[in-house]
Amino acid sequence: MSSNRWFATGNFFSSYKAEQRIFFTHLDRTVFAVFLLALFVWPLCVELSNKYMLVLDNILIAMIAIIGLNLVTGFAGLISIGHAAFVGVGAYTLAFVARQLGDSHILITHAWPLMLVLCGLVGALFGAFVGLPALRLKHLYLAIATLSFQMIFQWTINFLPLFNQGQTIPIGRIYWFTGMVSRQNHYIFWYYVILTLVVLMGLAVRNLLRTRFGRSLVAVRDNDRAADAMGMHPGLTKVFAFALAGFFAGVAGALHAYLYRGAGIESFTLHQSITYLAMAIVGGLGTLTGSFWGPAAIRFLDLQVENMVEWSAHFLPATLNLATALKPLTFGLVIVLFLMFEPRGIANWWRICRTYLKLWPYRY
Amino acid sequence: MKHQHKWMIQVLVALILCLAMAAPSCAAEKYKLALSLAITGPTSDAGAPYSKGVEDYIRYVNDTKMFKDAVVECPIRDDQYQTDITKRNFEEFLSDGIVLYLNYSTGSTLALKKDFEEEKIPVIPASFHAGNLEDSHYIFLPIATYSSQCIGLAEYIAANNKGGTPQVAMFIHPSAFGRGPVDDLKKAIAAGLKMDMVEVVEHGKDLDNTAMLQRLLSKKVRYVICQTVQSPVATLLKDAQRLGVIAKTFGEDGKLTFVGAHYTGGNDLIELAGSAAEGFYWTTSYTLTSEPGPGTDFQLMLAKKYSRDDKTANSHNYTNGMMVAQLAVETIRRVKAKNLKVTRENLYNELNAMNGANSYSPGNTVGPVTYSPTDHAGVDTLQIYSVQKGVFKAVGKPFVPKFAK
Repeated sequence: MSSNRWFATGNFFSSYKAEQRIFFTHLDRTVFAVFLLALFVWPLCVELSNKYMLVLDNILIAMIAIIGLNLVTGFAGLISIGHAAFVGVGAYTLAFVARQLGDSHILITHAWPLMLVLCGLVGALFGAFVGLPALRLKHLYLAIATLSFQMIFQWTINFLPLFNQGQTIPIGRIYWFTGMVSRQNHYIFWYYVILTLVVLMGLAVRNLLRTRFGRSLVAVRDNDRAADAMGMHPGLTKVFAFALAGFFAGVAGALHAYLYRGAGIESFTLHQSITYLAMAIVGGLGTLTGSFWGPAAIRFLDLQVENMVEWSAHFLPATLNLATALKPLTFGLVIVLFLMFEPRGIANWWRICRTYLKLWPYRY
Repeated sequence: MKHQHKWMIQVLVALILCLAMAAPSCAAEKYKLALSLAITGPTSDAGAPYSKGVEDYIRYVNDTKMFKDAVVECPIRDDQYQTDITKRNFEEFLSDGIVLYLNYSTGSTLALKKDFEEEKIPVIPASFHAGNLEDSHYIFLPIATYSSQCIGLAEYIAANNKGGTPQVAMFIHPSAFGRGPVDDLKKAIAAGLKMDMVEVVEHGKDLDNTAMLQRLLSKKVRYVICQTVQSPVATLLKDAQRLGVIAKTFGEDGKLTFVGAHYTGGNDLIELAGSAAEGFYWTTSYTLTSEPGPGTDFQLMLAKKYSRDDKTANSHNYTNGMMVAQLAVETIRRVKAKNLKVTRENLYNELNAMNGANSYSPGNTVGPVTYSPTDHAGVDTLQIYSVQKGVFKAVGKPFVPKFAK
């Protein structure tokens, strides 16, 4: 590493410790701090409508979920097609408490940070349980096992009166130090809460990846027998990866339920699981930044395609239902194009941009 | 130079004229409504004509200058039958300052119920689920609830069944929309409606119902009350026709007579089921173009005026959308007639006062729309129709189900 930690232009590491730094230069750290500050300050300067605040909140929640999915699929190489079900476990844990104790019970309205942790833990528990087949199964077979969990989850929620047979279970308004968070402040309040969690969880995972466990994940992904020979425990690593992914998903689910003030099954279907997987692929599997790019890109694409579909529905023949087909078609096409031409996702474009800027203006 | 000066004056005059001409339209008062529904995705076969009904009637109101100095705005957004998108649309509409909101699905109406309460905004959904009205003050159903419709069908069965207590099964959608009426019908039976509920079947995406139909026959079921959408009913009817178990006359012994609530029927069912739809009994509170009258004449005129195809013009969902728009516009008209400002609160009060001499007859329903602070189900009256030679024909007179209350 260069002695000048402000303007280093290359990767000249002189120790393993230096290579493990979160920020390689002071400039990186400063830019990150300014960016974070901007994320927290902009709502005070620009007033965004509730619609777009809701979209933003949604993207941030998806980021938390995708960080989890990236851990299990990107870093540990275990395909999970049931991630929406894990998110649903978090949402329905909160909904279950609300249904049993009342949607305005103090646990829901005042102890909501505790509930977020609880939902995460329940998600982790389910994650670990579903991860057990990973001890025996790999690749496509493991994917089918996670798909089964998705199906079982949907069936359970859809048919048990305990969960209102899939219909929305309402969640009451929460309280902050200043009193009840009103409807006017709802989306902005959750923006700050979710953003804080995204930052904390992002940093936590960035740190985790520097630890022995983080390196075990990658080692098990690349060659589990070799990892075993090196003294790692592939089975435990896989189950732990699933549990961790479940935790992130559980927190995301609870946040979703709080944001929408209710939990309903249609937000946690197989389609949503596929969407999460698409977010991870488009963002860049096995990269932390990909967990941020993917949700933002897919949700943005969703909005644009929705507008296009709505516009086209006015002149495309209704009997053929072509407008309905446009959304899945576009969605599928984007995934295929990324898999074909940029399998490393948007995170790779980001890496290229950063490398370019790092060397600029002395490109050679 | 002089020429240039003259040219500038001309541009200035033209600009002033443009502004002067635009001024009246800028000054016109706007009453903002909004509709979010499934134009694409699941149930879009019902949503698409519904949206056209709303769109056409609002255009008609503005084109005929019904409010002279004011216009009604009603943006329509596609929510693809997803509650998350409906919520987003609703937030957008609120930012635009709507005074009345038109919603669509049962799921989203239930999910947004608390938002409606907090915003104190009157809402007219396309869902007739009785649960919409529980713990709610601002939701107004346009017609009788699904529960009321199923009870109405059950009463018709009980009144026309020959020999003993009718054995009935329900064929329902696996959601609140489908399940809602089951308990209400059971309560009606417990309250004295002469009928045995043998089985409740929640359909999936089955392409073959042979086993289920054989099972129902083995249990001596004679009537199947359907509370779902058209396509599963069409599959059911085609399977029953293939097995030769459709009753040729109402309640024929050893065969099955199929009856259904609002969203099971209509021309789409006949199109999907073909000859198997013959003899299907259906109930709704709307008039149909196959039974011409002043209301249906107006509907066909409206559809023709805005160049809709025959399928849309004759769809009961087009009627449904049109009627909801009529109801919203009529409420605005009544508020204005009292020289009140068109606000959420005044519209809400006016809807609640729509009863007795103030009830509203839009012309395309079989009874008047009546609301009160304790009754938010609009048209209480139902009409039974049956498919006869490929079209729905009225059977008997409109009635109000006795066990529905």
